[in-house]
Amino acid sequence: MDTQGEIVSQSPYQGPGITDVVVIDDEESICEGCRQTLETGGYRSEIARDGIQGLKLVEQSHPRVVLVDLKMQGMNGMEVLTKLSEFDPSIVSIVITGYGSIDSAVETMKIGASDFLTKPFTPEKLLESVNRGMELSQSAREKRVTEGTAQPLRVPEKAPLNKQNVLLNGLEVLGQYYSLGLKERQFFSELKYLESEAEHHAERLGRVEEKEKTVLDIVHDLRLVDNIIQGYGYKKNVLIQILMDIQAELNWLPSHTLKWVSMRLNIPYANIYSIVNFYNVFNLEPRGDHIIEICMGTACHVRGAAGLMERVSSLLGVQPGETDSEMLFTLKSVRCMGCCALAPVMKIDEQYNSNPKVSDLKKRFDNYMGKEESS
Amino acid sequence: MKTIELVIDGKKVQAEEGATILEVARENGIYIPTLCHDDQLQPAGTCRMCMVEISNNGRKKLVASCVYEVEENLVVKTDSEKIRKIRRMIVELLWPTVPALAKEFGVDKSRFVPEHTECCLCGLCVRYCAEVKKLNAVYFKGRGIDREIAFVPELADECVYCRECFNLCVGGLIVNQCGSVYS
Amino acid sequence: MIKLNSPHDLEILRESIVSKRDPNRTCVTVCSGTGCLAYGSHDIFREFRLEIEKQRLGEEVDLRRTGCHGFCGRGPLIVIFPEKICYLGAQKEDVADIVSKTIVDKELVDRLLYKDFETGEQITRIDDIPFYKYQKRILLDNNALIDPEKIDDYIAIGGYSAIAKVLFEWNRDDLIKEIKEANLRGRGGGGFPMGVKWETTRNVPVDPKYVIVNADEGDPGAYMDRSLLEGNPHCVLEGLIIGAYAVGSQEGFIYVRDEYPLALENTKIAIETAREYGLLGENILGSGFDFEITIHRGAGAFVSGESSALMNAVEGRVGEPRPKYIHTSVKGLWDRPTCLNNVETWANVPFIVNKGADWFKSIGTENSKGTKIFSLVGKINNTGLVEVPMGTTLREIVYHIGGGIPNAKKFKAVQTGGPSGGVLPEDMLDIPVDFDALTEAGSMMGSGGMIVMDENTCMVDTARYYIEFLAHESCGKCIPCREGLRQMLRILNSITRGVGKEGDIELLEELGEMMQEASLCALGKTAPNPVLSTIRHFRDEYEAHINEARCPAGVCKELIIYHINPEDCLRCGLCEKNCPTNAISKDEDEVYVINQESCIKCGSCMSVCPEKANAIVVENAFRPPFANDLPKTDVAATTIYST
Repeated sequence: MDTQGEIVSQSPYQGPGITDVVVIDDEESICEGCRQTLETGGYRSEIARDGIQGLKLVEQSHPRVVLVDLKMQGMNGMEVLTKLSEFDPSIVSIVITGYGSIDSAVETMKIGASDFLTKPFTPEKLLESVNRGMELSQSAREKRVTEGTAQPLRVPEKAPLNKQNVLLNGLEVLGQYYSLGLKERQFFSELKYLESEAEHHAERLGRVEEKEKTVLDIVHDLRLVDNIIQGYGYKKNVLIQILMDIQAELNWLPSHTLKWVSMRLNIPYANIYSIVNFYNVFNLEPRGDHIIEICMGTACHVRGAAGLMERVSSLLGVQPGETDSEMLFTLKSVRCMGCCALAPVMKIDEQYNSNPKVSDLKKRFDNYMGKEESS
Repeated sequence: MKTIELVIDGKKVQAEEGATILEVARENGIYIPTLCHDDQLQPAGTCRMCMVEISNNGRKKLVASCVYEVEENLVVKTDSEKIRKIRRMIVELLWPTVPALAKEFGVDKSRFVPEHTECCLCGLCVRYCAEVKKLNAVYFKGRGIDREIAFVPELADECVYCRECFNLCVGGLIVNQCGSVYS
Repeated sequence: MIKLNSPHDLEILRESIVSKRDPNRTCVTVCSGTGCLAYGSHDIFREFRLEIEKQRLGEEVDLRRTGCHGFCGRGPLIVIFPEKICYLGAQKEDVADIVSKTIVDKELVDRLLYKDFETGEQITRIDDIPFYKYQKRILLDNNALIDPEKIDDYIAIGGYSAIAKVLFEWNRDDLIKEIKEANLRGRGGGGFPMGVKWETTRNVPVDPKYVIVNADEGDPGAYMDRSLLEGNPHCVLEGLIIGAYAVGSQEGFIYVRDEYPLALENTKIAIETAREYGLLGENILGSGFDFEITIHRGAGAFVSGESSALMNAVEGRVGEPRPKYIHTSVKGLWDRPTCLNNVETWANVPFIVNKGADWFKSIGTENSKGTKIFSLVGKINNTGLVEVPMGTTLREIVYHIGGGIPNAKKFKAVQTGGPSGGVLPEDMLDIPVDFDALTEAGSMMGSGGMIVMDENTCMVDTARYYIEFLAHESCGKCIPCREGLRQMLRILNSITRGVGKEGDIELLEELGEMMQEASLCALGKTAPNPVLSTIRHFRDEYEAHINEARCPAGVCKELIIYHINPEDCLRCGLCEKNCPTNAISKDEDEVYVINQESCIKCGSCMSVCPEKANAIVVENAFRPPFANDLPKTDVAATTIYST
């Protein structure tokens, strides 16, 4: 079967935009070998059999590293390398070649290749090279940011803290990230997006008087996200863990953090939205200071969990899943906490209670409310 | 590539290894109804309209023909009382969002109270946007009975108004929602 | 710590740990499972430490925090070795007494001992308590002996010797043969033989291969896996490492629910310490075998317990099942051969390796070998984790171990298999619990949830509960499951509200059969089971709801009212104080009455009414179908039950 020029060997589960490495080579055995080796190294890869398809693939999936065969039919490796560095200089390219002469190595290095693999190469060699490439790609992205006028996501301490400055500063940083990989149209809409996000939060939270502070908060959040992603080594398959870590820090998942994760990991925003809407753990709304969870497991159900939920819900005036207007309590139903012996069980801020009495609950809730008022 | 022989509705047919029952049936002019299937997309196996009965070594079972790969000596029945019952029930459950299939199966009313009137959640738009257009402007939101088709919150960014998903939409939700945004 | 480089190193370490321990020395163990922690066992532990210090007993007494002992209904549990004296439900204030009386004077603290329900006889030793006496605790036994955070405790009881044996004395074929011979079947639901799975995965000529522990115990009302992972994480690790070696995998994952923080924490510690000892990581025990484990936290989705959905989640995707007909042991994680089993199944592996397939086969029935842990919960006297040989009858579990139904209520049914299982009524109590017998009876083994229901449990409400659970916990991907559950829930909701129609039962049955045939994954195929099995055994309850708008068990709140019997009322006012909506007040005759308009039927008053009064009763609202606006109090009421 003639597969020349086709994008082949795309794993059916591999949605777009989750690719770490693109391999461009016209030899099937090399492609397949690379793909398998990369997979053992935890990298998602896609394969193209010629330069044109390869570049298309790069455009679609924004990989961090590209492996290019120097000698191919049609567009050759040199041309691909040139186009690649025009498209996004932060993509690290590694050249594969059968002619391991110094000359061609120097030549490719000049036009942006960062490493060199001589055929035949061992899987270890390949992984070593790609690992290094990944690090390079990361530092290339960061370097571009730090070399610019602005610090990465940091607001200069001495600049007056007005909205204009903060926004400008944060957005400038954003812009630099963006110019690395995104099209212009997207770049400007991101800027607009961050600004509108800031205003939106300032209005909705109601507690925050100054919008500047909100923008600062957002910039802070984005830095936090960066740290978390970095801690996981920019791997895409840990997306769910990253989101959980963000929530652990912020108590919920503001949409700017999701957007940021999507951009930093090159995962479509829609995929991230599907995930956060799929799992119970994620909260897309801010939660109250006290989290009240009522177990709805079967053991609890037969011992009257529904009644307990009714009681608590009517005492707080909050429906399950909601937060009160004072942002004090969030009432949640949990599928099963696995402490069936205490059924029906209620958990307030990590503390388990077995079938609490209404009179005790009243005291407790009043206490929380009183405390919050006085402080 | 290996060639495999199997029997579909009493007809001996040949197929390439790795092909699905649905593909082979269609190549041989045998009709199997589908809802979530489209040749441009990876099979999803979610609508279950294409369920067929297979038997191999005497064991019978029902499978979704769009994802089941052909096997040597497989005997496939694409229609039976049991299969018709399942298909009719599915159409009834989706009432009134799948008018063409309803007509085909002679379903003109449903014993169930419909909750969606425009969307049967076949997911064709979602998959087309992700797999063919690679834009991911539409996605599945929520899970279980709360699942719905949704646009990425900042719609304007991802969607390029190609309107190619309009042609795929069975119930008309995309046409109505996206159409209004577009205008 | 120096890495262990050979089985000999491990033996030396074990000997040195054991030699420092005197089996006759007094050791106080305090259960630190989630259940007991919730009862305050942490404070008790601290109090013990202070008290032992205060009385200067540090030289003579050991104090140890342990994993879950299983008798969660009576926590916090304290067991004092070597006599194995068991104290139940102790509070912080009791600690001083225990130390000075039991430890110093060797006397018992009577008030904390177990008392038999019928005879009132006091029982001192933990093994003599009926709850424990009738069990055969193999997996759970070690929970009570070790501190889950300390790898030395596990090594002291022979831990990790199975790995040494496998890596140095057996080859892979021997190992797979032994597991196949033992016929260990998956404890997570399907009951698929583990050895066959291993063999399939091993024989696929594709690398890398993966192994996964499924600790996404989603069944509501089941917590066996949580307890094992919390109480003895090394045992699960050891099983996993052995499995990895057998199938030729170098990377494993443990998928733990985020709702189990303690299990997560203990597993993390276990992995770290095992790595420090050279029992995990590169060149395990100097054998040349490398293996790494990563923990993946589950974000809360029942459907993600399905194997292919779980693998999607580990890959960082939405956790919905794949529509494939290729088994995950051939094409699983990242399309590579993957061997996935749940916690309990993996935990069995070291035992089989150490004691042999013949020993394992000697326990259980023809086709179901070994023991099974159940979480015995609901309307039962002894709530807790129960480990019994396969083939034990339900009656033995419910009555001998569980001590029967509280408050002299009548037994109605026991539910097994979680949302995929079914209910088994009184006349089926004598069937033995094994994979095949339960399936035959219209339920299933599942992961081991066993929920006991008494006469005050409504079976229609139970079915509605499970369908509601599944409707929100399924992925919603395939139409039969999603739309089927949507309509089932709609119909069941109307029945429990007293507005069900004739023909509803038949429609439910028809829908259920279609879902069993046509759904994409096991969740959808088994989703109608709770409905079908309740219809099969309790059709009369459905009919009462539909035809008479009556809930015989007095549960469905649209069909009942709460009423205070003036003759029995003690005028104590507890109900008034505990009403969340202030619906209870005194009338002109000083009698408490419930204002039906503002009553939300939460049952709070009933649960606080003193036992000697039992003045609050549940009555039929007697609302005929389709008459929503009839004033509820105006019609004659009949009492369904009182406390």
